[in-house]
Amino acid sequence: MTIALLAATLPIACKVSSARDAGADDSVSSAAAAPDRDTSTSKLLVAGDSLRFIEHPEILPAGFPASAKLQSLRNPYETDKGAIATGAKLFVAYNCLDCHGADGSGAMGPSFQDGRWHFGGSAGEVFESIYQGRPDGMPAWGGRITNDQIWMLTAYVRSLSSKDLSTENFTGKTVERTGH
Amino acid sequence: MKADIRAGLIILIAVGCRTERPSTGADSAASQDPQVTSSAATGSASVSGARIAVPHAGPPGEWQMPAGDYASSRYSELATITPQNAANLRVAWAFSTGVLRGHEGQPLVVGNTMYVVTPYPNVSYAIDLSQAGQPLKWKFRPDNAQQAIGRACCDVVNRGAAYADGKIFYNLLDGHTIAIDAATGNQVWRTRMGDLSRGETITMAPIVVKGKVIVGSSGGEMGVRGWIAALDASTGKEVWRAYNIGPDKDVKVGPRFKTFYAHDRGKDLGVSSWPGDTWKTGGGAVWGWLSYDPALNLIYHGTSNPGPWNENQRLGDNKWTAAILARDADTGEIVWAFQVTPHDMWDYDAVNENILVDLPIKGQTRKALVHFDRNGFAYTIDRATGEVILAEPFVPMNWATGVDLTTGRPNVVETKKTAQDKNVKDICPSLEGGKNQQPAAFSPQTGLFYVPTNNLCMDFQARAVTYIAGTPFIGGNAPEKGGPGGYRGEFIAWDATTGKKVWGIKEPYPVWGGALATAGGVVFYGTLDGWFKAVDARNGKVLWQFKVGSGVVGNPVTYSGPDGKQYVAIYAGIGGDMGLLIAGDVAANLPYDVRERGTTLPDISRWTSWGGELFVFSL
Repeated sequence: MTIALLAATLPIACKVSSARDAGADDSVSSAAAAPDRDTSTSKLLVAGDSLRFIEHPEILPAGFPASAKLQSLRNPYETDKGAIATGAKLFVAYNCLDCHGADGSGAMGPSFQDGRWHFGGSAGEVFESIYQGRPDGMPAWGGRITNDQIWMLTAYVRSLSSKDLSTENFTGKTVERTGH
Repeated sequence: MKADIRAGLIILIAVGCRTERPSTGADSAASQDPQVTSSAATGSASVSGARIAVPHAGPPGEWQMPAGDYASSRYSELATITPQNAANLRVAWAFSTGVLRGHEGQPLVVGNTMYVVTPYPNVSYAIDLSQAGQPLKWKFRPDNAQQAIGRACCDVVNRGAAYADGKIFYNLLDGHTIAIDAATGNQVWRTRMGDLSRGETITMAPIVVKGKVIVGSSGGEMGVRGWIAALDASTGKEVWRAYNIGPDKDVKVGPRFKTFYAHDRGKDLGVSSWPGDTWKTGGGAVWGWLSYDPALNLIYHGTSNPGPWNENQRLGDNKWTAAILARDADTGEIVWAFQVTPHDMWDYDAVNENILVDLPIKGQTRKALVHFDRNGFAYTIDRATGEVILAEPFVPMNWATGVDLTTGRPNVVETKKTAQDKNVKDICPSLEGGKNQQPAAFSPQTGLFYVPTNNLCMDFQARAVTYIAGTPFIGGNAPEKGGPGGYRGEFIAWDATTGKKVWGIKEPYPVWGGALATAGGVVFYGTLDGWFKAVDARNGKVLWQFKVGSGVVGNPVTYSGPDGKQYVAIYAGIGGDMGLLIAGDVAANLPYDVRERGTTLPDISRWTSWGGELFVFSL
């Protein structure tokens, strides 16, 4: 919930075309958007499935729209095998691999295989991590690559977590890794 | 610097690795008790006439610079602890640094104060040795960008500080160099040296030469263009900066530049030995140890691997990456350069320490520089000219059959050359090198070098990669496995006048901590599985060992306390490139998860866990 609120208050001026395609049935609230934006294509990013948000329209100067409809982020490619395969190629092309490991098993950056997510593992949260970057050095890719590419990367990254390797729990067994 | 990240597909014993220098002694399986795996081969040697070229900095009881002296010898005149009494060593006191990351480097001791610098966030502590309980005189926590964590290839280590003129100088991971008032803990100056957005972090320990602080950056895996720079110690103002690749003007190649080998001469080699503009992202970073010879006024430093690892993208010699450079301390001008591994295709950085000693070789006293390279060869080099006097393997290796002394170049085995989209198997040593950052020590008493080594091999798969600023520029995958013989590391004594190993202590894991030699005839080192050991300098007999709180990747120092007793100090805190992804349980907000590296460090999580402590021992 905290993450969702933070995201809702960030003035992110991205075009979330794919999110739009996902439909608005999860929309739960609304907030102010910049006046020059077409609210049908410039949704504020909101993670999570529900959101309660107080708008404070009284603070806005006259002439600004009082509210904009928000929607949850949903990955249009979540189960699209072709998109996951494309995401795997993007993972190499954008050098994600050399930080997160060849199979997402972790290296300079965190693992995607252990079922634990430092900044949340929902599609929307992973999208945000890629789009906005994260404080320990994850670059912000939003505006550099297309949102559809970010969604395909999201789909690929999330597909890795199903392996759920035991990592930090000492079991007396050696865990094999495939390296860089 | 590689980056750690590989592990292995193949279990244990590497097949097809030719062992040019088979080790003697019992093999030690990693799963055995470390107490019984060490086996010292007998042997003894004394190289008469050997002496250190540069004296210890400050009084013999202090430790004022990273290696104790400009020669990088890590030798102390303190002699109270001897082979006869070392068995009586016990913990005197301990101190938690508050950081659970790889504790490479070493503390300093100046007067009655010990100075400790932690891994990121690079907190420094001044510890009062004169009072019971060792209270802090001060603690300083610098402004240090958190982003740097994820831009560092190989853990967020710091290899220590240097002391001069009442100030403590050290580098921050986010690319700054700072000066702290040693008495008060106040920051005197702070200078941004590295560009974090291009992947320049700083982990190395500076040295101070004639009022200048000498620093370099990391980033050989991030496509940086490597440099070394000097700052005014009193103001923090940059005095000179020299690049290691690019046009002669930037590299500071001038009329004084004379290479020993003819093929290393020519104009703008830092450009012409690269295709197109590839030199601009070609690596060659200065993240290792620095040495200085006051008589020649030369600073010696190595340069990192060329970037990317995929050699097809940078055909040519790639000067001056994977090289040893001698530069004028006042101006940064290159006086000589020797490329240890031309056109490196195995991630063999040449940043390991250069130990400056005068050695008797074939009836002559030579002004030598001794360098144990990642590539597995130990080089004895004339430090005035760059001539390779001898180069012999000090670990099992198979990528080259030797070094041609007429050219200084390795004779590379064709089948071990890596190439894009090829999986070249069983290359020894691995990209971690026969030795990595863990510094060796030299004792003028025995004339021997004490060298912590790795015994690992790798497969190497290179692939095309695109440069994107601030992301890794690697283009390769190199899963590792244990080298021949069933051990993964060995602590050896080396005679650099003949290029021969004198004795060795086999270890189940790579020996990632440094060495300390003392006039008492005792040598100290720590192991990845957490044993701190005292060894007889003459024959390698283990005199004493103590299991510290975490694996050791740091370097021992010794000092004389206010009570006149000899103390030995070591960090416990596994990490660094070799400890990355290992054992233990850590908070989920650390930037990476911790995992045992299956074939590289099997079973390590049984023996150690994360830590961050200073241990101090005395009789």
